[in-house]
Amino acid sequence: MTTQALAPPPSATGPVAWLRKHFFATWYDTLFSVVFAILIYLALKAFIGWAFVDAIWRVENKDLCTHDAGACWAVIESRGRLILFGLYPYDEQWRSTLACLAVIATIALSCLPSFWSIRRLPILWVVGFTTFVLLMRGGFAGLDLVTSEQWGGLSLTIFIFSGVFVIGMPLAVLFALARRSSLPVIAKSFGFFIDIVRSLPLLTLLFAAAVVVPLLLPDGLQGNKLMRVVIAFSIFFAAYQAEIIRAGLQSTSQGQEEAAVALGMPYWSIVIDILLPQAFRNTLPSTINQAVITFKETSIVTIIGFFEVMASGNAAIGTGEWGNQYVEVYVFLALIYFVFVFGLSRYGAWLETRMRLGHA
Amino acid sequence: MHDAAISIHGLEKYYGDFHALKNINLDVPDKQTLVICGPSGSGKSTLIRCVNGLESYHSGTLNVLGLPVGDDTKVMDQVRKRVGMVFQSFNLFPHLTILENCVLPQIRSLGRDRTAATTEAMDQLRKMQVDIHAEKYPDQLSGGQQQRVALARALALKPEIMLFDEPTSALDPEMISEVLDVMQDLARADMTIVCVTHEMGFAKAVADRVILMAQGEIVEEGTPDQIFSNPQHQITKDFMAVVNG
Repeated sequence: MTTQALAPPPSATGPVAWLRKHFFATWYDTLFSVVFAILIYLALKAFIGWAFVDAIWRVENKDLCTHDAGACWAVIESRGRLILFGLYPYDEQWRSTLACLAVIATIALSCLPSFWSIRRLPILWVVGFTTFVLLMRGGFAGLDLVTSEQWGGLSLTIFIFSGVFVIGMPLAVLFALARRSSLPVIAKSFGFFIDIVRSLPLLTLLFAAAVVVPLLLPDGLQGNKLMRVVIAFSIFFAAYQAEIIRAGLQSTSQGQEEAAVALGMPYWSIVIDILLPQAFRNTLPSTINQAVITFKETSIVTIIGFFEVMASGNAAIGTGEWGNQYVEVYVFLALIYFVFVFGLSRYGAWLETRMRLGHA
Repeated sequence: MHDAAISIHGLEKYYGDFHALKNINLDVPDKQTLVICGPSGSGKSTLIRCVNGLESYHSGTLNVLGLPVGDDTKVMDQVRKRVGMVFQSFNLFPHLTILENCVLPQIRSLGRDRTAATTEAMDQLRKMQVDIHAEKYPDQLSGGQQQRVALARALALKPEIMLFDEPTSALDPEMISEVLDVMQDLARADMTIVCVTHEMGFAKAVADRVILMAQGEIVEEGTPDQIFSNPQHQITKDFMAVVNG
């Protein structure tokens, strides 16, 4: 043992030192770095050549679109509105745009912590959804009536996603609390219900909601197909999310609930003020995961006849005219999904950092 | 009307087959400071947790401030508003600031408005000398500070009885005295206190009465002097030998 302090290591700063440390520290680091640099270069070069340099952008140059040329983005110019709006009437598509923006704004606002109150969030969502439905449906003040069968494209995707999230999240909380109930009848039956829903494929549930429920319920209670599908999807989402929340509740220490009980706080306050905020904090990564999965799963409603953005994309290349441009259309669709899902992930990461700093 | 703050008669409690509390009889008069000590597993924590209903009991009677402790939620709400408790592991709410930890229970339990609750909370935090940390979160404070916040949080509800469940057992040695000091102030200010602790210094300084529990029974009780200098029961003698080193 020596009491003498070691001299600090020679200072290694600057871009050269950084490169050496991270990419060229050993001979095999160097080998991997060089090989991957070449691969990345080739891939980027090919992609940029295809997507930008050799690309054909305008419809009037459509004849230049051949197999050897670059991307034929003319298909997006020609069919973009079909992809974004589905079967929604052409002249009324500004309404779909506004409705879509209303829901996106609602989502964005509810991501802000200043809106996280038991009063503000529900008001925000009721206003956002009412705006969406009124704009999309019309039938008043000179707006043509457009029934939900004709809704489609991106606004339908976002409507289904946010509808599922907004209905499913409170349901999930309810399911999770019921499954933890001290009354065995309630705990057991909700546990059984969650397990059944989780054992069924989403598609089966959506089919049942679209086709079977109308046979069972009287006309007045059926609602429309889109509503039934969103509700069925919400129940499916809630069954999974309930288990995530339950895990979060279980990871919150027993002492938290005891302290709140000992302070005389009522049950609803213990749940809302103490347990749930901690449960959501503890399970944020899984919750974001579930939201991402749900966003991508919305494309499944195609099968029961809704033209959300994926189905609209397929329709765009379904005609002979643009049949060869499926790669371009799928890249465009991928970009739309990417923007939303990547945004969601970054938001989750930001929330986690914020929570680590101690905020609620 | 009631003459004892806490009155316990023939209390029995089982965990499955385990007989946790055996025929406990105990009256705690108003303004008394009672210290419960005893080896671990002797039922002291179980007993104190029965007083505000965190644990249920199987038979016997337990009255707190004249109210029967039991399953009636309305009665239990009354009991818990008038009986404060401080835990070994502090149990501050980690997602709320120190101030909010003290404000929220006042709003939810007593229906105070936020302004009054904030004033009261800051008052209590000042008395506990942690008011400068009001805007921080619990994990930014030391154990001793956290426990004093927990005490402020409980006192902000103006309880008539305070229960302490080993309040210093989770603390580093150098922080124990800062918590004991404020507890002693409280005892001298005539608060009714029931405290489970191994801190014999605290018991000697402020306890009016000490009881020693072992295997779910009250083995011996008396003034601190009697228990510490002249223990009668063999278990008490053994226990005193251990805690006094």
